[in-house]
Amino acid sequence: MTDRALQDLVIRALADAPFRRSPEWRQRALADPERVERFARFLARHFYFERIVHFFKYSTVLARLTGRRPEAILGQPAFAALLPSLVLGSRDSARAVAGLVVAHVKNGASAPPIPYHDDLLRYEQTMMVVEAGPRVWREAGNGQPATGNAQPQTVQGTALLDLAYDLPAVLPKLLQPFTTVPDAPARPVRLIVARSRHGRVAVAKATDAIVSILDLADGRKTLDDLAREAGLRPAEVEATLQGLTELGAVRFSTGS
Amino acid sequence: MSPLKIGAFYNPHLGRELAEARGIDHLAMADPPRADDPWWPKIKERYTLLLHDYLGQLSEPLDERSIQRARSLAELYHTPWVAEHFQCLHTEDGTYNLNYVFPPLYTEEFLTRFVTNANALKARLDQPLVMENIPGFFDVRHSQMAEPVWLRRFFAATEVGFLLDLPHVWLEAHYHGARPTDWLAEFPLEHVVELHVAGVTTDADLEGPWIAPAEPSEEMLAFAAQAVTRCPGAKAVTFDAFSPSLTAEALLRSVERIRAALA
Repeated sequence: MTDRALQDLVIRALADAPFRRSPEWRQRALADPERVERFARFLARHFYFERIVHFFKYSTVLARLTGRRPEAILGQPAFAALLPSLVLGSRDSARAVAGLVVAHVKNGASAPPIPYHDDLLRYEQTMMVVEAGPRVWREAGNGQPATGNAQPQTVQGTALLDLAYDLPAVLPKLLQPFTTVPDAPARPVRLIVARSRHGRVAVAKATDAIVSILDLADGRKTLDDLAREAGLRPAEVEATLQGLTELGAVRFSTGS
Repeated sequence: MSPLKIGAFYNPHLGRELAEARGIDHLAMADPPRADDPWWPKIKERYTLLLHDYLGQLSEPLDERSIQRARSLAELYHTPWVAEHFQCLHTEDGTYNLNYVFPPLYTEEFLTRFVTNANALKARLDQPLVMENIPGFFDVRHSQMAEPVWLRRFFAATEVGFLLDLPHVWLEAHYHGARPTDWLAEFPLEHVVELHVAGVTTDADLEGPWIAPAEPSEEMLAFAAQAVTRCPGAKAVTFDAFSPSLTAEALLRSVERIRAALA
């Protein structure tokens, strides 16, 4: 085993709590297990602190009304109970931690009530879950995704979010100083939340064309297939795919 | 030797205070400025800015995208040097990521990797490269040499600058049961360009001290005062705290106390 591969094992042990308990790791006896465990717990708290502060920033602003700061869960027994199962960067762990945050913030009583609060929490939770997953740190080639005759495929983890309130209209206002909580228009919106290969999360309003293409793009159908099955013009499919690719929701496979 | 510049990190939530502050010579930039940061234009106009962003881990070569990002940030800041860390915090396949600085194994293989990749990065930058030491909370038995030996060989092979993080040295000494000044003496201090000074507090998970966005203790300031006398090429000392929980008072007072300790 190369030193680089060994370093990967150490990194995995720090990130992956179940792996730390495995014979594969323990039999190597590479480091003091108690020190490794303590450092891993420190890293887990730091890892999720950064993500909660970033993805639940609107709930943080509203904490003066709800009395619930999202990151407070990191000091609670419910988070400590998750530590033995956490795998930093995994979608399941992100879902579990974000779920704790939502439950904690929801239990705060806002006066006056914020009508779109549930939507907001679902939005923040979705952002945090979509961000999770392996990412590309280095491009092997020129970094340009394959297109041309390749077949588009919806990226795993891309989420569609149906909301009762038009959150994109109110989110920027929440980050500005306010005395009364800004209103969100009560009209249904559907959002697409996707992540680039490099881990950047982006959100856009989802059109019917977007929903159709996300549903159909399985890595086997060509652009013409998609146009025919979705009942769209090829130019419309091409333009939609370009937007979805930039968002990180669709990638092109080059296999046959 | 020209007087040491004393500075801090740019904390965007303290933009207003930093834009108006006196007694700060430079600001290190850990993140690019946000597009909606109202204080950024004034900060950029007022201060010497040091690029201290995550550029990549030099256990692997930086790809073209990362190099271009580093170059464009360096140009934006007009930075006098570009900083990176001796870190290897994500697996090669990208599956696991610690999201926190973590040192490489101190082995021949990693030395070769870091020397090769630092030399390649240095050749693509218009400013000097400096590299910061990273503490380990535990030793990995596979390491072949002590951190200071590994660093000495790295700097000899690359001639890049050394960003000496003193709290990191202090922590390494603490967890190895050594006196910080004795441990520091092992490091290649002749390469130091910049020093970091910060506070440490007890962490509940670690059950011991660790880096925190806190004011440096008197002991740390005395350590810094002693260290700078051994670093003939040092140009700057930076209060190393970057956190939403950091207050303007703590930042300004820390810079003032560092300046007084080094006077």
